[in-house]
Amino acid sequence: MARRQEREKKEKPVRYFDYSLLFLIIFLLCFGLVMLYSTSSYYGSTRFDDAAYYVKRQMYASALGLAAMIVVSRIPYQIWMRFSTLAYFGALTLCTAVIFVGTEAKGQSRWLKIGPVQFQPSELAKIGVIIFLATIIYKTPKRMGEFKSLLKVMCFILPVVGVVAYNNLSTAIIILGIAVCMLFVASPKYFHFILMGVGVLLVGVVFILAAAYRAERIKIWLHPEDYEKGYQTLQGLYAIGSGGLFGKGLGESMQKLGFIPEAQNDMIFSVICEELGLFGAICLILLYLLIIWRLMVIANNAADLYGALIVVGILAHLSIQVLLNIAVVTNTIPNTGVSLPFVSYGGTSISILLAEMGLALSVSRGIKLEVT
Amino acid sequence: MKTFVGFLYMSRELPFYRSKTFHRKKTVVLFVAVLFMLMFLIGRLVYLMVFCSEYYGQKAEDLHERERDIKAARGKIIDATGTVLATNKSVCTVSVIHSQIEDPEAVIAALVKELGLSEETVRKRVEKVSSIERVKTNVDKETGDRIRAYGLAGIKVDEDYKRYYPYDTLASKVLGFTGGDNQGIVGLEVKYDEYLQGTDGKILTLTDARGIEIENAGETRMEPVNGYDLYISMDYNIQLYCEQAAEKTYVKKNADNVSVIVMNPSNGEIMAMVNYPEFNLNDPFTLNYELTQEVTAEEKQNLLNRMWRNQCVSDTYEPGSTFKIITAAAALEQGVVKLDDNFYCPGYKIVEDRRIRCAKTTGHGAETFETGIMNSCNPVFIELGERLGVDNFYHYFSQFGLLSKTNIDLPGEAATIMHQKDNVGPVELATISFGQSFQITPIQLVTTVSSIINGGTRVTPHFGVKIVDEDGKLVETFDYESYENICSEETSETMQYLLERVVSEGSGKNAKIEGYEIGGKTATSQTLPRSEHKYISSFLGFAPADDPKVLVLVVINNPQGMYYGGQIAAPVAKEILENILPYLDK
Repeated sequence: MARRQEREKKEKPVRYFDYSLLFLIIFLLCFGLVMLYSTSSYYGSTRFDDAAYYVKRQMYASALGLAAMIVVSRIPYQIWMRFSTLAYFGALTLCTAVIFVGTEAKGQSRWLKIGPVQFQPSELAKIGVIIFLATIIYKTPKRMGEFKSLLKVMCFILPVVGVVAYNNLSTAIIILGIAVCMLFVASPKYFHFILMGVGVLLVGVVFILAAAYRAERIKIWLHPEDYEKGYQTLQGLYAIGSGGLFGKGLGESMQKLGFIPEAQNDMIFSVICEELGLFGAICLILLYLLIIWRLMVIANNAADLYGALIVVGILAHLSIQVLLNIAVVTNTIPNTGVSLPFVSYGGTSISILLAEMGLALSVSRGIKLEVT
Repeated sequence: MKTFVGFLYMSRELPFYRSKTFHRKKTVVLFVAVLFMLMFLIGRLVYLMVFCSEYYGQKAEDLHERERDIKAARGKIIDATGTVLATNKSVCTVSVIHSQIEDPEAVIAALVKELGLSEETVRKRVEKVSSIERVKTNVDKETGDRIRAYGLAGIKVDEDYKRYYPYDTLASKVLGFTGGDNQGIVGLEVKYDEYLQGTDGKILTLTDARGIEIENAGETRMEPVNGYDLYISMDYNIQLYCEQAAEKTYVKKNADNVSVIVMNPSNGEIMAMVNYPEFNLNDPFTLNYELTQEVTAEEKQNLLNRMWRNQCVSDTYEPGSTFKIITAAAALEQGVVKLDDNFYCPGYKIVEDRRIRCAKTTGHGAETFETGIMNSCNPVFIELGERLGVDNFYHYFSQFGLLSKTNIDLPGEAATIMHQKDNVGPVELATISFGQSFQITPIQLVTTVSSIINGGTRVTPHFGVKIVDEDGKLVETFDYESYENICSEETSETMQYLLERVVSEGSGKNAKIEGYEIGGKTATSQTLPRSEHKYISSFLGFAPADDPKVLVLVVINNPQGMYYGGQIAAPVAKEILENILPYLDK
């Protein structure tokens, strides 16, 4: 080891590795598992006679994800450029496949089963899109100033978004958001994006008004207590409200006892609020902010644009999910199913997220420090 | 070491690697945008968790809390001998909890078998989606235990109290019974409800969404306060004896009903109050006779109400000759008559254009006031009424307390129905004098006569003596209003003497008992309409005549065959007195 270090020293001035990000991720992962255990123990014991049922499965996925993270962080990220076309078509194929041969759960087929492994292709699509976009932009950096090329790139992405949207609208929105964020960073202009924002808003309004059930969602959002479907939102609000400043204490949530349906999934933040209070909730948000800040630092110091764009994509992914999840749980926006990264129950999600973090760490490894 | 160096350098401005700087700027813009949005969400959280905390917290708590009542045991009703007349019995309430039922068919089968309900009824309850559904209340404890023994999930058997009357029909119309929520419905049960009822306790528990209580959640418990025991002046033995006597007469005379009141005239304590036929207090919603035809629910309720009615208190009747006691007392008090005043009875008396007959149509001939009352001679009392005049007569009614209610501690007391004073002409005055053309309740008659013969103190008739808590500690002793000197001591003594004469040698001699001085007055009155020829025979007696300890009123409503009070009511009173006088002397 010592000899290798010496040799490295000779080669390059100082090699960087973002240990603070690693620490933050591990801390958040552990926190997430604790909260997941607290939240899911009721459902686990009532449904499977095993309070740790959910947390055990989450731990397997986390272990897998951690392994993936370590491996990926050691592989030079430039390698992924070669797989970008594969990533694109792979994502498209898998997401199309899931429509036809997916495993059903609650009326929507989102899982694909290959052998003993069962996963959500839409989660894979996120990382696929990130790699694909980063490659495309990296190869044509100068064209990104033109509005036309922005539209062209969006045209590449839309099939994936469309296929994913077929049975998982919120993930499609996230993928679209990631793409927009990456393009935003790639393009020197602002105006295009303001235009794009207005456009999305208009389309969104039409989209909502076009279907009655979406308009109903808006009504539920405004008055959750008046609608049967507002039950989940309302129960989440009860949980958040009863938390108060410092919460009821870890494990003391009442709302997790069957009142919030599937509390371990998208609504887990409300249980965190109830148990740890405003204090705990803000700490968790700050933890996310720290990770996002680290990702920004890595992106801005990446050795090349490709690395920077990958990290921006990851940053966008994480930010959008955190923002959407908290906004939904606090009933700031209409209900849509977005999980809370690293905390919500979901094996594919946590594995992919950890692998993405490995990618970010790999980029951070590429940063060269000049010691003066 | 490398790590530390790297970490330290990260915080410093790092050198450029790319020519284009806008990427970095835009990444920062992206970060700042995320930062602001997160800040906004934090703001939203502050709003929800600080300002709305109380509102949502309360809502959540309402959702989690289940309130369970712990019923307070209703107080007992205990008679003068210490016999418990009303108490509680453990019964069960069987409910089903929909979300906990695992095998609905087994549950239905078990409940149908044990509860004797139709399968349809049980199925409806079991299949109803609700947090808890009551299947049957007032189930025997044994049945409840049997259902528990099945060990089926989703069936809940709660123990509860049910009112229980050990002597079924004894004093049913006096005691009354309770409803499903343990509240008094009629009789003493409703009058003393606030003492008997107690305060229900509460258990506040936290439950999960399925309604299952959370262990160790720290339940809040408010202990129930059991109801107080009510001690009444009724004497079980006297009541039982009077009921037997009433039943015998009811059967023998085929009467509509027979009422008996036994009271201590000196303080108003009622020792017995019978309204035969009584009903079964443990089954108060079943009529005490067979219905000859189908009736609607409303009619059935009316029939039940009639069955529960306490005739001694709630029904008025024309008192007839027993009222002559009051006329005589008023006349004596006013000084318009003396014992040896002479009267003459030709068998009738002309009042204005009316010829009012005496009971003895051939006439009693020449008689004194004393013999007049012994003979129960109508013309003598018409004469007394005339001597008194309407104003004085009414003055004494009022003074004797006849015009107001007795305020007996039973619900539903009827008021006296008396002519308006302004409408009383000579004919009305004459009929009032011997107890006709107006109506009073039996309890009013008993109370007023008691007041006249007890030395002139108007008493309040009552059952309630004292209230004692479950540890035997005295909570309250009841005091009842009394008005002294409603008539003079002298009048009272004269009346005792006169009424003793009525029994010893007059119309009430069928009530005579060897070795006792009994005072009394018979009455036979006709009910309205007169054309139906229905009669009420009554006898009012008291003993000992010179110092009354007990007063008995027997009222036989619509007896068949012989209907004279002296012939049929006096023997009943005699029989009762014969038995209770030695008993009271003990």
